[in-house]
Amino acid sequence: MIVLQSVTKSYGDVQAVNGVTLAISRGEFTFLMGTNGAGKTTLLRLISREEQPDTGVVLVGGGNTAELSGPGLTRLRRRMGVVYQDTRLMPNATVAENVALPLRVRGMGGSSVASGVTAVLERVGLADKQARFPRELSGGEQRKVAIARAVIANPEILLCDEPTESLSAERAAEIVDLLLDINADGVTTVVATHDTGTVNRLRRRVIHMDNGCVQSDTLVGSAAPPPPPNGPS
Amino acid sequence: MARLHVARYLLASALTGLWRNRTMTGGAIVTTAIMLITLAGFLAINDTLNQMVTALGRKSNLIAYVRDEARPTQVTAIIDDLRTRPGVGEVQFVSKEDALAIFESRFVDQRDILDVLQSNPLPASVELRLNNPAVVPELAQELQGMTTVFDDVVVPLDVVEEVIGISNLARVAGSVIIIALTGVTLFVIVNTIRIAVFARRQEIEIMKLVGATDWFVRGPFVAEGAIIGGIGAGIAAIALVVLYAQAAPVVTRIVSFLPVSTDTEFVRNLAVFTLLVGLIVGSLGSYFSVRRYLSV
Repeated sequence: MIVLQSVTKSYGDVQAVNGVTLAISRGEFTFLMGTNGAGKTTLLRLISREEQPDTGVVLVGGGNTAELSGPGLTRLRRRMGVVYQDTRLMPNATVAENVALPLRVRGMGGSSVASGVTAVLERVGLADKQARFPRELSGGEQRKVAIARAVIANPEILLCDEPTESLSAERAAEIVDLLLDINADGVTTVVATHDTGTVNRLRRRVIHMDNGCVQSDTLVGSAAPPPPPNGPS
Repeated sequence: MARLHVARYLLASALTGLWRNRTMTGGAIVTTAIMLITLAGFLAINDTLNQMVTALGRKSNLIAYVRDEARPTQVTAIIDDLRTRPGVGEVQFVSKEDALAIFESRFVDQRDILDVLQSNPLPASVELRLNNPAVVPELAQELQGMTTVFDDVVVPLDVVEEVIGISNLARVAGSVIIIALTGVTLFVIVNTIRIAVFARRQEIEIMKLVGATDWFVRGPFVAEGAIIGGIGAGIAAIALVVLYAQAAPVVTRIVSFLPVSTDTEFVRNLAVFTLLVGLIVGSLGSYFSVRRYLSV
């Protein structure tokens, strides 16, 4: 589903991603682990095509993201849901308006949007906060709104950047359970985090990054590497 | 159906965006209104000055005194020819008798002078009122050349040259100021909109990242720009009509020689022009301001 081949990306003198090669299969749940500055966020930005690699290739669904522009890029973005570290909710829009945005951009309107918003907000436990503005919500609630927005249009891929950062252990567990629930529907999920507690609680694939390089690629609790992907699909 | 949903959403988004960012919206509307009132006000002043210069030009006269021995048919033919010339407004023949009557009416106290003379000493004349002072020198030279018909040609050449000079200066200066003021107006309005768009650049980025097309992102902003420009221009147009209706009669009364346009068509055209400028600059300003944030 997602393949990176010898990808490098630098910002000035800073080498954010350095020769990364990896593959993530359809429906897989993967943690990207590492300290701040390890290159996790850059890797997610490369997959979502917010950034383009200096060298190497990023393939999503078999297509080279560097070759996309205009309608092709729009189609790629519609196959993905992204939960940003800073949530990137529209401050002047209500929870319902924020969550509805991916449906609106697809030309949907009326009752189908309203019912879709209600359903996804019920799933994240915020059905009673549709009319609130992001500033009226807690940090955890804002993350849930961002997740709801990311999944409302049934994406094939869900990318999450530090979704549990600054949350209590209880709130972080809620978020992770929600992401696992979404992954159970077959959504390929990549979660960047430095929260070892969350990662250790689950038996999932973990890619450790340091200084822009992949240090290890394992299943937590298992010395064996994850099964090789079947290649891009 | 999808397009209808999108159109309704874009319009609703525009109106919601304007309301939720009302401080910025209000600032942009007020700025647009002030700039357009200034521009339209100067256009009105420039029009008045141009009319004044044209009116001065119309007052340029040329008088050719007819020899007593000139044949009337010859004079009539010349008058008919002059009436067809460009720049020539009115051509009037003043006979010797008419000249005497005018003299008597103007100098009632000096009628004794005429009693001393045996015959009417005043010559007949052809008086020309000219629409374009630029034709005066050439025309005067031509008439002076007809020595068998005209005795003398009187033309205030220094005044004519001054009028031509003022006219040219007024037109050039007026055009330069209007171009500069239009540039400043566009610059200020577009930058006000750019600031408003800049404040919402994250919104644009988010829309793009969830898969919005460029037009889906632009739509509400262009509609907002058009509404801001339209409301600002509407305020400017109303203020212009009201101020002009109040000021024109007062200015005409105080400075009677100023040919201030009092016809409603002039003000109406100016108001429509102001509205169009507001709408076009508002929407285009938004279109180009958003463009720079679309490459996400």
